[in-house]
Amino acid sequence: MNLNRSISWKSTFKNLYVFSVLALIIIIFSSISSNFIGAPNITNIIRQSVPLLLVSTSVTLLMMSGNIDLSVGGILGLCSVVFSIMINAGSGYFMAAVLTLLLGVFIGFFNGFLVVRLRIVPVIATLATMSLCVGLGKLMSPGGIGLIKGLPEDIVGFGRTPFLLRLPISVYVAAAVIIVLVVLQRKTLLGKYAAAIGGNSTAAELSGINVVKTVWLLYVIVGLCAALAGITRTSLLSLGDPVTGMGMEMDAMIAVVLGGTSFSGGEGSVARTVIGVLVLMCLTAGMQVIGAEAYYQTIVKGIVLIIAVVVDVLVKEKIDD
Amino acid sequence: MRNLNAQNNANSRISNLTFAILSMLVVLVVIFTIASICVPRFFDINNISNLIAQQAEIIILGIGVTFLLIAGYFDMSVGGIISMAAVLSAYFCQATGAAANDLGSGLGLGYGTAIALTLICCMAIGALNALLVVKLKVNSVIATLGTMAVARGIAMIVAKGAQRITGLPEEFCAIGQFTIIGTINLAVVISIILLIIALIIENKTIFGRRIYLIGANQTAAKLSGINVDRQVAILYITSAFLAGISGIVMASRFNAGNCALGTGYEFDALVITVLGGTSIFGGFGSVTCAVVGAFILGILSTSVNMLGFQPSMQMLVKGVVIIVSILALRFALNKRNV
Amino acid sequence: MSDNVLEIRNLTKVFPGVRAIDDVSFNIERNTVHCLVGENGAGKSTLIKILTGAYGRSDGTILLNGKEYIAHNPKEAKKMGISTLFQELNVVDQLTVEENLTLGNEDTKYGFLTKSDKSKKILEVLKSIEPSINSKHKVGRLSVAKKQIVEIAKAVASEADIIIMDEPTAAISEGEIKRLFRIIRNLKENNVTVIYISHRLDEIFELGDNVTVMRDGKHVETKPVREVKDRSELIKMMIGKTVIESYIPKDEKAEETLLEVKGLSNSKLHDISFNVNKGEIVGFYGLVGAGKTELARAVYGADKYSGEVIFKGEKLGTSTGKVISAGIVLVPEERRTEGVFTKLTIRENIPVMNMSKITKAGFLNSNMERKVADEYIEKLDIATHSMEKETAKLSGGNQQKVVISKCLFADADLLIMDEPTRGIDVGTKGEIYSIMRQLSTEGKSIMMFSSELPEIVNNCDRIMLLYDGKLKAEIENGTDINSEMIIHIVTGGES
Repeated sequence: MNLNRSISWKSTFKNLYVFSVLALIIIIFSSISSNFIGAPNITNIIRQSVPLLLVSTSVTLLMMSGNIDLSVGGILGLCSVVFSIMINAGSGYFMAAVLTLLLGVFIGFFNGFLVVRLRIVPVIATLATMSLCVGLGKLMSPGGIGLIKGLPEDIVGFGRTPFLLRLPISVYVAAAVIIVLVVLQRKTLLGKYAAAIGGNSTAAELSGINVVKTVWLLYVIVGLCAALAGITRTSLLSLGDPVTGMGMEMDAMIAVVLGGTSFSGGEGSVARTVIGVLVLMCLTAGMQVIGAEAYYQTIVKGIVLIIAVVVDVLVKEKIDD
Repeated sequence: MRNLNAQNNANSRISNLTFAILSMLVVLVVIFTIASICVPRFFDINNISNLIAQQAEIIILGIGVTFLLIAGYFDMSVGGIISMAAVLSAYFCQATGAAANDLGSGLGLGYGTAIALTLICCMAIGALNALLVVKLKVNSVIATLGTMAVARGIAMIVAKGAQRITGLPEEFCAIGQFTIIGTINLAVVISIILLIIALIIENKTIFGRRIYLIGANQTAAKLSGINVDRQVAILYITSAFLAGISGIVMASRFNAGNCALGTGYEFDALVITVLGGTSIFGGFGSVTCAVVGAFILGILSTSVNMLGFQPSMQMLVKGVVIIVSILALRFALNKRNV
Repeated sequence: MSDNVLEIRNLTKVFPGVRAIDDVSFNIERNTVHCLVGENGAGKSTLIKILTGAYGRSDGTILLNGKEYIAHNPKEAKKMGISTLFQELNVVDQLTVEENLTLGNEDTKYGFLTKSDKSKKILEVLKSIEPSINSKHKVGRLSVAKKQIVEIAKAVASEADIIIMDEPTAAISEGEIKRLFRIIRNLKENNVTVIYISHRLDEIFELGDNVTVMRDGKHVETKPVREVKDRSELIKMMIGKTVIESYIPKDEKAEETLLEVKGLSNSKLHDISFNVNKGEIVGFYGLVGAGKTELARAVYGADKYSGEVIFKGEKLGTSTGKVISAGIVLVPEERRTEGVFTKLTIRENIPVMNMSKITKAGFLNSNMERKVADEYIEKLDIATHSMEKETAKLSGGNQQKVVISKCLFADADLLIMDEPTRGIDVGTKGEIYSIMRQLSTEGKSIMMFSSELPEIVNNCDRIMLLYDGKLKAEIENGTDINSEMIIHIVTGGES
C-alpha cells in the first residue's frame, strides 16, 4: 500500500539523516584541518559534550510527550553555583553532589507543578523557572554576577582528568545515564506512555494512562539530568557560573530535532539525539579548529535549528499527503 | 429581555478586558504608593522621570509582541533583532576607510539612510518569521528562537563579538541622549507616538479588530473571510520593525552598536505583556496592558535596586511576577464570569 | 444471569429548553447486534453519550448485567464494560498495533515492559478477528478500516460486555464493510453485545438482531429485525407522520438563476450539478456522511474542488473573502468552533463579515457598531441584557442568532446554512424559519443543509437529496411530497 511505503520511507530517512549529517560534518572538517580528527581534539569534544548529552537525552523524552522545557540552562547554572558553594564551604564531593541532584529534582518537580497542576503553558512556565534559577544563581554568586572560584584542584577529577581511554569519569557516568534513558524510552512504561501522550493524549487518557503523573515525572527527570550536567560543567571549568548554561535549551532542542524526534511529539529516539549532540559538538569544535571566531557559532546554530525544524515539518507533511 | 439599558448586572457593562486593565492599574497605583513610602528617595522627580524614560524601549517592543500574542502567536526573536539593529545602525553610518581595525570603519552612510537600511534588514527577519510560522507552519516558539539566533548571530559577526563604538556621526546619540524635560528623551516621544498609533489601530481599525478575531477563533476567522495568513505575516514583520526601532534607540542611548544589547528582552517583553493582562491563549489583551505591565515591572525593579538588593534580584522578581499575574488574572476572571 | 445485558428504564435527559430524551425504556438482549435508528435529533447520540459517561442523566435507571450502571466519564464506562468506537479514532498512530492494543493494560515487571500470557492473549484476540493485521506495524500505516478493527480488538480484549459502534461504515469501502460485519457476527459468539448505530437501513436488515427506533427523543418501538417487514415500515416508524403544515408554495416560481454549480467534485463529492434561483429556499437533505457539509464548504470556497461554481455570472474560486464580497455567506455546521467567536461579545461578533459598513473615514465607529448590535439584537430577538455579553454564555439558539446576524449584516444575496437549527430549542427554531422565509420574500436565496426532514419539507421550495457524496434526486416541494420515498433514497435506495 502506498501509505505503508511512505511511512517506512520516513523512518528510514530519519535514521539515515542524522548519521549522514554527522558523517558529512566530520568529513568536511577533517579535510580542512588535520587537527580535527586527532586524538586530543576528539577527547576534548567528547568530554565537553557531556552536559549537553545529559540535558538533550532527558529532554527527548519530554518532547516526545509534546512538552517543552526552556529552563534547562537555568537549572544547570544554578546547580553549578550551588555545588561550588558547597565544595568551597568544605563539604565532601559526594554530599555536595547528592544535594545538588536533589535540587535538580526539586526544580523539575516545580516545573511539573506549574505545567500540569497550575496548567500554565509550558513555554511561559519554564521561562519563568529559568528566570528564577538564573536570578537565584546570580544572587548566590559574589557581586551578583561573579563566578565562584577557588575550587580545589581535584575538582576536575570528575570532568577532565583522564580515567579510562583518555576520557574522564563523567563520560562514563553520562554513558550510563544515556543507557538508562534509552532503556526507559524503549523498554518501559514511561517511554511508551510519553509517546502515547504526545501522539494522541485523548486516546492515552481513555486507555487509563495518568497523563498528569507521567508528564510530571518527565519534568523531574529533566531537572535531575540538568543538575548532573551542572556538576559536570563546574568540574570542566573549575568554576561555578550561574550563566554557564545560557543557550543550552536551544542547543538541546537542536540536538533533539536533528536526531529526528518530532517537535509535535508521539515518537522519538534518545539514541538518535546522542548523534544529534555529536553533530552539534563537531560543528562547534570544527569551527574552532578551522579558526573561526567564537561569535560565528550563534548564527550557525540558528540556521541549523531552522533547517532541522523545517525538515521535520516537511517530512511530516509528505506523509499526510 | 431586550432591556439594553437595564443594568441588572452592573458587571456586564464593563467588558472583561476593561476589568483586567483597571485591576492592573490599581495594582500599579498600589505598588507605586508602597514604593513611595517604603523606598527612600523613590518619590522624587528625577527618579520618576528616569523610570518613565527607561520604559520607552521595552514598551515599543511590547507593542509588537502584544499584537502577535493576541493573535495567538509568540515572537521570541525580538531580543536578537534589537542587537542586530543596534550593531547594524552603527555599522552603516560609521566612517569608512582609514581606521585602526575593522571595527572602527563602516559603510559611511548618512544616519538617516543607516536607520532606513537597518529597519529593512529587521523586516527581512520578520518576513523570515512569517515564512516559517505561517507558510511552513512551524511552531512559533521554536521558529522564532531560531531566527533570534540568526539575528543575534549577524550582530555578533558584524561587531566581532564586541561593539562598534568609534567613528559614529554626531546624530547617532541624539535619539537616546537628547533630553527635553529632565530625562524624558526622544525615545520616550517616539514610544508615545508609536503607542498612540498602536492604540488607534487596535481599537479603531478593521486590521486591529481582526487581530482579536484571529486570536479568538482562527477557524471562524477564516470562514468569515479574513485572510489569516497575510495578517499574521504583517504582524511578524511589524514586530520585527518595532524591535528594530527599539534597537536603534538603545544603540543611540549607549552611543555604540553593542551586540550584547537586547539579551533577554524577548522574555521581558513577554513578562510585561502578560503581567498587564494580555492572555497567553489569544483573543484577549491590549497594548495598554503592556504599558501598565512595563511600569509595574519598572517600579518593582527600581525599588529592588534602590533598596540595595543586587540587580540579579530582578530576574527572580520577573519569574515570580509572571507566574503570580497569570494565576491571579485567571482566578479573578473566572470568579467574575461564573 | 438475565437475558438482558442492558436494561434502560424511564431514561430522561433535559437540557435548557430541550428534552433530548424523554422517558425512554427498552432492553438489549445479551450477545445480539442491537441496532439503534432514528433521524437526526431523535435522541440517539444523547443516549449513547449517557451510556459512555459523557453526559449525566436527568432521570431514570440503567442496569448493566442486572446491576445499576452510572458512568461519569468514558474511562469509567470502559472499566465497567461499555466500550465505544467513535468516528474520531482513538488510536495512537505513532505506536505499533501491539502497543496500542496493550495501551494502559501492559504486562510489566518493575516497570519494564514484558510479554506474558496477558499480552499474548490480547494478540490472539486480534489474530482471531483479523489475521492480516501485522501487530508490529505502526498504526499510522493502517487504513481507517483496519484501525477500527484494532479498536474493536482492544475493546474485546478489555472484556467489554457491550461495544457501541457509531456509524462505523461511514468511512470504509464495500469490501471492508463485509469484513467488519463478519467480525461483528463473531463478536456475538464471544460474549459481546454490539449496539450498532447507522442510518444505512440495508445494514440493519443484514446485520441486526433487534432494532430500536427513536423519534423526537422518545422511544417508538423495539422489535426483532426479522419481524420488520421492509424498509418502509422502518421508515414509517422513524418519521411518524410528517406534517407539512407550514409550507406555502410560492405564487410565482423563481426563475432568475443566481447560482450554477457544474460538476463539483472533490475527495468526498462526486460530480454534483444544480442551480439555485433568486428568492428560492433550496433544501439539501441527507444523513450522516452524505456530503452535506462538504458541499456547503466547497460552494463557499472553504475547501478545494474541481468543477465550476458560477455566481451572478461570475466564476468563484477558493477564497472565502472573495466569495463573501461576491455576496455569499455561510452559517457553519459547528457554531461554537466555526461560527461564533465565543471569547468575544455579541457586539464584536456581528459586524465581522462586513466591517467597512461600521467605519467612518476609514476608522471603526463605535456608535455605528452599537447601533448595528442594537438593531440585530432587536430584529432577531436575541435574549440578552447587554450587547457586551460574551457569546460563550449564550444558549445555542441565541448563539446561532448571532451567527445569522453576522451573515445578514454582510448583505449577501445567498445564504448557505449548514444544520442551522441543530441542538436548538423548538421556539427558536420557529424564529429562524420565519427569518428564512422573510429573506426569501425579500429576494434573497437560501441553501439549507439539514438532516432533519421535517424542517426541510416545511421550508424549502425545492429539495435536493444527497447520499454518499452524490446528488441523487431533485424534487419540487408540494402537498404530494412522498416522505417515505425521500428516506428511501437518502438511506441508499435507488429511485
